[in-house]
Amino acid sequence: MNSIVMKQDASTAIRELLAYLLSSGRVDAVLTMRQVPETGSCDLGLITDPSGMVEAEPFLPVMTANAGQALSSISMSGKRIAAVLKPCELRGFTERVKREQGSFDNLLTISSICGGVFPLEKVISGDLEKLVPRYIEKTARAEAPRGLRETCKACEEFVPMNADISVSVTEHGSLMHLHSDRAEEYTEGFEGERIEARADQSHIDRMMKSRSAAKGKLFQSLEKSSGLDGLVDLFGKCVGCHGCSRVCPICYCQHCDFESINFDYNQPYFQESLEARGALRLPPDTILFQLGRLTHMSFSCVGCGMCSDVCPVSIPVAGIFKKTGERTAGLFDYVPGRDSEEPIPVMVFKEEELGDIG
Amino acid sequence: MISDKHDDFTPRITSFLCKWCSYTGADLAGTNRLQYPTSIIPIQVMCSSRVDPVFLIKAFLSGSDGVLMGGCHPGDCHYETGNYHTRRRFAILKEIFDSLGLESDRLKLSWISASEGPKFAQVSNEYTEQIRKMGKNPTRKSVFL
Amino acid sequence: MAAVLPVGSDLSGAMNRFLKTILEKDIVDAVLMPMKVPSGDSFAWIIMSDSSIVDDAEAMAPVMPVQGARALRSLTRKGEGSIRVLALMRPCEIRAAIELSKLGQVKTENLILAAYDCPGAVPMDSFVSDPSSGEDLFRKMLAGEDVSAGEVKPSCTSCVEFSMTDADLHFGHFGLGGTEVLLIPGSPKGMEILEALELPADRETSIWDEAVRKRREKQVASRDAAFEETGENIRGVQGMLNVFADCISCRNCRAACPICYCRLCHFESETAKQDPNSRLDSAVTRGGISLPADRMLFHTGRMTHMSLSCVSCGQCSDACPADIPVAQVFSFVADRTQKAFEYSAGRNDGDPLPLRSFMKSELSGIHEMVSDAEPGGHAHE
Repeated sequence: MNSIVMKQDASTAIRELLAYLLSSGRVDAVLTMRQVPETGSCDLGLITDPSGMVEAEPFLPVMTANAGQALSSISMSGKRIAAVLKPCELRGFTERVKREQGSFDNLLTISSICGGVFPLEKVISGDLEKLVPRYIEKTARAEAPRGLRETCKACEEFVPMNADISVSVTEHGSLMHLHSDRAEEYTEGFEGERIEARADQSHIDRMMKSRSAAKGKLFQSLEKSSGLDGLVDLFGKCVGCHGCSRVCPICYCQHCDFESINFDYNQPYFQESLEARGALRLPPDTILFQLGRLTHMSFSCVGCGMCSDVCPVSIPVAGIFKKTGERTAGLFDYVPGRDSEEPIPVMVFKEEELGDIG
Repeated sequence: MISDKHDDFTPRITSFLCKWCSYTGADLAGTNRLQYPTSIIPIQVMCSSRVDPVFLIKAFLSGSDGVLMGGCHPGDCHYETGNYHTRRRFAILKEIFDSLGLESDRLKLSWISASEGPKFAQVSNEYTEQIRKMGKNPTRKSVFL
Repeated sequence: MAAVLPVGSDLSGAMNRFLKTILEKDIVDAVLMPMKVPSGDSFAWIIMSDSSIVDDAEAMAPVMPVQGARALRSLTRKGEGSIRVLALMRPCEIRAAIELSKLGQVKTENLILAAYDCPGAVPMDSFVSDPSSGEDLFRKMLAGEDVSAGEVKPSCTSCVEFSMTDADLHFGHFGLGGTEVLLIPGSPKGMEILEALELPADRETSIWDEAVRKRREKQVASRDAAFEETGENIRGVQGMLNVFADCISCRNCRAACPICYCRLCHFESETAKQDPNSRLDSAVTRGGISLPADRMLFHTGRMTHMSLSCVSCGQCSDACPADIPVAQVFSFVADRTQKAFEYSAGRNDGDPLPLRSFMKSELSGIHEMVSDAEPGGHAHE
């Protein structure tokens, strides 16, 4: 496929591409991570002024919000947007498009073979400055940097699915791969040597090896959190803040069922509960929320790990949801975000299937 | 809420039965004087697809020893396609339970038509026996749910 | 005047036994207390009607994972019932419950609110990562030993309402050497409990009063210093932006807040959502905007909605994954907004919520309260 050679580091090259896209009028706005130089604090920026590119850090190994979630509403504006998304953010966005919460129509997606992100606490503690250079070094060699999000360490979906442009940074060099007509069209006139090249497969294979091993270990470590006792142990300290659901790219409901009047109980409920079991946690329905959320969205979980990051009591939500999600999606050979035309498993059915149920 | 207080064990099986098929089937079992156990606690819904899997989870966590979901045979749904969705949702719920090591046998889906009084009685009897062997649901006692 | 409960060596245990007795004597149908969760690294609110379970509860938990008023809200929000419940909580939780009762979210008719002298709490994240150190720290705090301020939940170091509130019953133990605890009735309901237990309220409380007074002096000084620092930090638009720079809009602060009771927050609702084209237009005007958008609108908006009832419990800071001192900011602002109406959140003294009442003649100086504001928008808002 047609690829553009990046002479400088990937971040600088993509910054230049984004500036070009804005100044040439190819797009109206660009979505990218950015970092304020003075304070080091990061956020997701929707930038329209090319001079704003100076703060852009397109491949900052940080996820303050799942960009697929942030992109939802603005992707439906009709204006042209170029968005830099990590593979899981792109998959999360694709899942939202299927739920009529986003559109690919006027969108140019730029992604990369992803080395993972650091948990929020590393960003807050100000350690990024020394972590990022080491991160760049290691990921270029297909080695795993230390201290990443658990689900990043275990992520096998690090090659972007359906991006218009994907970036690979390996020991053989840095390349921008153009996957679509839109990618070719938008990069016309952008300076850079074009060659026929794919991402280095041996680099991908080495990454896959370490990721698969880490995934095995992660899922293994979650085995003990099984059975009713194991679940209560795992989720026992959940405080019901629902932060996990709010930062999840798949949970798009404006008013979550579990926060609605449907789950507010009147006194007879509490009276009966006390009569039946002598004691009850307040507020109720802690485990119900977790299991309920799994039934509603697990098959679309993209394993981004925002949920674990935001949990105020450090429950490893992401691992459990990713593990369970693979099982429920696997029932239908479904891969969330693989194909925007592939319907969500609960929206369709086959007349003959699952014969052993019922 | 189902108590753990008594030693004698009558399984409590919360049953969501669709009006057009399974609930009518249950009625038929009754009018034909076919014995089916008092363990079945029927809740009528218009269609099995009205049941959010969350209802089944809530019944399970409230201490139901078994949870039964009754619907029309696939292809016979009064609303044409409802039960196809039920089937998928139920499969997902079972998979979640299995994945998390929860006793998924305490959840059962059964297709029972309006004329299948005997089948309703049979399913109820067999399922009650199965649950009796499994014992009381530990969620009856759990305080930290 | 107060009744006395002998303690032995274990203050918490004595309080537990006292509550167990109340339950056994059928003075109430249930008690609400913290209990350690199975994994041992946190606590949950458990309502118990079975008195044997009270042995597993903890009268004074080292942490406050869920604000007690949130637990009460879930119990009584949908109406009064006939279960008589005694809830033992921290003073800030009682005060939040009282505010919620004014807001119609907690019904107090069959509720008996009990509190205790609170030495503060351990921050959630440090407790979860090392529960046994957290327990040790709390033991020291209860015993009145010196602990480093950095180890304690920040709001607690600025707390001046750590003792008597408008609870029905208060366990006063500061300054009494750990051998006895005063049972101070705060209402006829509280008196009834003491009478039912045949505990005469005949002990005078001057030693305890003095200990509380001295501690309050120290806390007031600490709070004033904290307010001064916070006031400087949030000055102007840039100040607020700096303090909230790391905010990821997760809304954990709102979810943890006992006062924020709206099922669908205004800031998540359709009303607050901007049309995508308008959003793009803002991005054009400012050169760029931060996503998720409207961070500052959320925080300042939440302040206008709840600061008059803010009890400075600090749950917001505890829940924040970005370590933003939300509680310091909100507490500072709440102090000023409440003072503007001579209102003190958490009191049951008949003062209506300031926004539900008005006087025909008041706030004549309002036009002087509005000082120069900085115009325009900001790319990192």
